[in-house]
Amino acid sequence: MTRLFRVATFLALKSIVRGNIGIILLTIFMLVLVTMNLLFVPGLISGATVSMNTILVKTYSGDIIIEPEGDKTVINHAGDLVQSIESIDGVVAASARNNVNAYVTFEDERVNCVVIGIDPAQERAVFDVADSLIEGRYLDSRDRGEILLGVQIAGADLEDIELYSSSLRHVHAGDKVVVTYSNGIEKQYTVKGIFDTGFIQTDVQAFVTDLEFNSVMPNMNNKASSIRVKLEEGVDPDSIIDRVAGMRDGLAFQTWDETAGLVESMTESFTLINQILNVVNYLIAGITVFIVTYVDVINRRRQIGIQRAIGIKSHSITISYLIRALFYAVVGLIIGILAFKYLIIPVEARHPFEFPFGPAYLTTKPVYTARMAFILLVVSLVAAFIPVWRVMRIKILDAIWG
Amino acid sequence: MVEVRNLAKIYGLGEVQVRALDDISFNIADGDMVCIMGKSGSGKSTLLRQLGLLDRPTSGDIILDGEVVTKLSDDARATLRLQHLGYVFQEYALLAELTAHENVYLPGMMLGDKGVDFKRRAKELLELVGLGKRIKHYPKELSGGEQQRVAIARALINSPRIIFADEPCANLDTISSKKVMETLVNLNQEMKVTVIFVSHDPDDKKYARGLIFLSDGKMIKEGS
Repeated sequence: MTRLFRVATFLALKSIVRGNIGIILLTIFMLVLVTMNLLFVPGLISGATVSMNTILVKTYSGDIIIEPEGDKTVINHAGDLVQSIESIDGVVAASARNNVNAYVTFEDERVNCVVIGIDPAQERAVFDVADSLIEGRYLDSRDRGEILLGVQIAGADLEDIELYSSSLRHVHAGDKVVVTYSNGIEKQYTVKGIFDTGFIQTDVQAFVTDLEFNSVMPNMNNKASSIRVKLEEGVDPDSIIDRVAGMRDGLAFQTWDETAGLVESMTESFTLINQILNVVNYLIAGITVFIVTYVDVINRRRQIGIQRAIGIKSHSITISYLIRALFYAVVGLIIGILAFKYLIIPVEARHPFEFPFGPAYLTTKPVYTARMAFILLVVSLVAAFIPVWRVMRIKILDAIWG
Repeated sequence: MVEVRNLAKIYGLGEVQVRALDDISFNIADGDMVCIMGKSGSGKSTLLRQLGLLDRPTSGDIILDGEVVTKLSDDARATLRLQHLGYVFQEYALLAELTAHENVYLPGMMLGDKGVDFKRRAKELLELVGLGKRIKHYPKELSGGEQQRVAIARALINSPRIIFADEPCANLDTISSKKVMETLVNLNQEMKVTVIFVSHDPDDKKYARGLIFLSDGKMIKEGS
């Protein structure tokens, strides 16, 4: 067995060192492209997913959502609970929210949306919506008669936003809009600011201060529809949930990823696209190695016949071709991975792909890279084996003299 | 001892069958030097390829040292070729990507006998065939005669008991031909290697102690 491999390695080495350098470089170049392609799509999807998850957490859900359990609709003594939660190690901040359905009207346009009553200071500590204002200013705790609108409600004359046709279209900061709450109260508000987080589920929301909210929903004083919690980085949400659950009964908990239905379905679609592209890429890699090996063994059929005639075992010759295929694949993989990591990723980081929900930065995951490398090696070996195996079945004399 | 019993090789060309070898029988003793002669198409090379285990006869047997080798598996035949037989092709048949030295020691690597330094032995064999100063040259850098002598050295690397040479001088000029044939004769006389070679040149009879003459696939003469 050692002899088989020793001779195979010898033949492969000589063939690589003294073979046609142009063909060798071209084959490696093809495999470099395949490798980078195999890394690019999942890297982009991974980057986009991270970007989506980040924006989801920072503008919509927070790390943990606490809601009343079962048939209950509100959390009582919300202020006390928020204070207790904020005292837990690992919690950055918590914000109590009250939601109510309402219509917002401006001129002839009317939009159905959720109006959320918030403590602006708490919200700033938990969410980044305040950093996403495209017009006006964020709410202050003592604001009354003022409202903050998501861009998908206001429209703001931005015709290229997703829901422009169903928005109020022309609302800008300083304009007056009328809000009709689900309890029948109708009130005029001045639009204090318009935000555009890039996350559509956030941008269809409207915010008023809890002071304002309690004036139209007086029975909601010191109550909350939900409490959103921001955690320090790396803190396990489940440990915090256990602590909060121990403080009070009647609460239901969700982590941010359990609310990420939309993101999840997008990720699943991306993953499916990625898998299809990967199959195509592996096929391209396999066909490249197959063609190179096939042309090579056809050109060297006589040489292979001579090798067999002088006593070189077929297994040795076959293994020598597999070693060559392995060489192409390994060099292609190494160059491809290095080029992706140290060339493509830094360049993309300077000029990131812009998605509706923000920039997506390419990433690589070691587990995925290792699996991709393994599959590519196997594909290359199989692709090289087929033409060699076919030539090995030809009689020696036919191989030498045709 | 090489024994050939009722050897036949029939090539099928559709409904037409060509009897390349027809009921051939002979014996060759160890250490002999035998020339297979005949006109073009008489079956000389076909016979040598059967003897060298590069092809399988349609019927009949080849017996090497009492063992019937015609029915052996491909793998067993490859091992036998590697260990006991050397083959010199008409067209040199060297591997283009290997130097003369590498061409010679490659079969030795495959055999891999412990304690045998095949690289050194290959060098000695190349010196033996007069190419001691050309060991690092590639086949394309050697003349036809030199390439053929490299092929002979290669055939000797595993110390074979029998060397088969298929018209080794067919593509060579007179001087090169003489050198190649003298090399084979020396091997036969000094190393006691059995040499069986094919030639269409009547002059080559002088190098042989035995003669097998073929015509249309039939053996019409055996002797010296």
